[in-house]
Amino acid sequence: MANPVTSSILQLPKRPWFWAFVASGITFGATYALTEGSGSSELISAALTFATFSAIVGIGQMFVITMGPGNVDLSIPATMTLAGTLSLKFMDGSTALILPGLGIALFVGLAAGMFNYLLIRLLRIPPIIATLSASFLYQSLAIWWNRGLRIKPPEALADFTTGSLAGIPNLTIVGLLIAVASWFILQRSIFGRWLSAVGQNTRAARLSGIPVEAVKAATFIGSAVLASLTGYLLASFSGGAALNMGTEYLLISIAVVVIGGCSIAGGNSNVPGIWGGALLMFLVVSMLNSYGLGAGVRLILTGTIIIAIVAAASGRKGSA
Amino acid sequence: MNTKAKLLAAVALVSVTLPGFAVADTADKRIALSNNYAGNSWRQAMLTSWEKVGGEAVESGAVAAADAFTTSENQATEQAAQIQNMILQGYDAIVLNAASPTALNGAVKEACDAGIIVVSFDGIVTEPCAWRIAVDFKEMGRQQVEYLSTRLPDGGNLLEIRGLAGVFVDDEIHAGIEQGAQEFSNFKIVGSVHGDWAQDVAQKAVAGILPSLPEIVGVVTQGGDGYGAAQAIKAAGRDVPIIVMGNRQDEMKWWAESRDANGYETLSLSIAPGVGTLAFWVAQQVLDGADVPKDLTVPFLKVTQDTLDATLAATPEGSVANVEYSLDDAKAVISAAN
Repeated sequence: MANPVTSSILQLPKRPWFWAFVASGITFGATYALTEGSGSSELISAALTFATFSAIVGIGQMFVITMGPGNVDLSIPATMTLAGTLSLKFMDGSTALILPGLGIALFVGLAAGMFNYLLIRLLRIPPIIATLSASFLYQSLAIWWNRGLRIKPPEALADFTTGSLAGIPNLTIVGLLIAVASWFILQRSIFGRWLSAVGQNTRAARLSGIPVEAVKAATFIGSAVLASLTGYLLASFSGGAALNMGTEYLLISIAVVVIGGCSIAGGNSNVPGIWGGALLMFLVVSMLNSYGLGAGVRLILTGTIIIAIVAAASGRKGSA
Repeated sequence: MNTKAKLLAAVALVSVTLPGFAVADTADKRIALSNNYAGNSWRQAMLTSWEKVGGEAVESGAVAAADAFTTSENQATEQAAQIQNMILQGYDAIVLNAASPTALNGAVKEACDAGIIVVSFDGIVTEPCAWRIAVDFKEMGRQQVEYLSTRLPDGGNLLEIRGLAGVFVDDEIHAGIEQGAQEFSNFKIVGSVHGDWAQDVAQKAVAGILPSLPEIVGVVTQGGDGYGAAQAIKAAGRDVPIIVMGNRQDEMKWWAESRDANGYETLSLSIAPGVGTLAFWVAQQVLDGADVPKDLTVPFLKVTQDTLDATLAATPEGSVANVEYSLDDAKAVISAAN
């Protein structure tokens, strides 16, 4: 074989996350063709910004899905809404309270994650049902707390979330740092090994002495904390928390995991694919909007594209 | 028929035939609100208005109860079950904001057959036995383009932000905007996105389509999406065009700030969430034996450059511009339709 660089390039198509990035590139090109070259940096910066929200919740969802069949966190939208609502109401536009506000948001995530896990563990409710019913509680709590009023974020926080550093949106930098940390946890740490083992065979993992319940608890808490961080950032970015702000992130968080080439049956996940999937989810909608297609066609094509990518990614496994 | 029923029938007959006695007492009547969704600021304001006006009506003895019920999942099946529960609980009238114009017809018919008055508003139902307090959503769309034509006689490119795909209201407003674009043919809709009536979704969708759009002179909207659009356009470094707003406090605040900074002018229109209280009084009037036509129309609430400051001051932070209706307002709407 040639030198290591070429061989690692040749290995690229075998990476599970490869196709998500290929598809993102193609959709970007197709949209770019319409802009006559003028709007490409605009489009890149918008894609990076909005993909960040999907990527952060997607990473949380990925950890949960890695634990194997039946494990999914449906409380992500409600946790986002609750964290956004509580923290923005607490800060009430005051710059001095930005960090305590972040603390409150993360605490909401911590509490929600623990509550989710306790429902699953103590009441032996399947994760789908537990997180879904818990999400009604969180959503109701958010409604009760502030009756849907939008409180503006502190000026400095709004500037940070909408600003950029050397052309890269600040939010994207945050999202990439989280991705790098998550990659390390998943691929290089003992926790990541445990998690994959649990996802591949829980019984075998337990018999080999892995603290299965601790892994589960940490994963659900991690997912909720990432969701609450996203809620805090999204609310600050879009000028206030709204009761329906998390709605679309339920499907997106699961879609980016699937598109990113993670095994939906658990035990085999990767972090770069989440970013690839998040970029694609934004770019596909932008492309179809730019070509002036109606909502019906758009939904059909979005579904078709997701199926095509998953098929391409799994075809790779078959031939390898 | 027992004596009591005969007596009641006689009283009813007298009160119907003698208009002077048409104030048949509704003090023992119980009205329920069946609401399909509570997850945004408009619905929250609607529920707050209902609580306030309904509570006062109960206190003053106009009705015996004005209870509000909201389904959690915004599903027609769930709301049909809710209506059936209300029938069993023996409410005299159900005021309904429906999840679907047709899917609840069966449950509504059951309620009518049980002698219950059903008044639908905002999300109306097509079942003939129910009353409808409808908003002319189509006109709401058309008027936006009409307004833009007064501001921009030369026309230009428009961006349309639609609501939630597949919802009746979205189709109606969209049809009105299309009609307006035909009527004022120097306007061209060059892009259309779905903002789901949410600022953050609108912001995301607009940011995605902007790079491929030529210069736009106006943005037509459906409410709850104007502020998000303004943020996205500002972030892209473009001049902010005339964005028609939807009465949300954050939209009006942004408008007032832009007006103070650079003389920004626009129009804002939506339905007041207090329309629920109009439906409440209409139900009370029907229970009272008044002759109420089945189809009523509620005017939409417009905020103009002149009324901006007053409306903004009266709107709670983060909420939506609102009007609560009184019994007299309801009577006026009824007599206008008669």
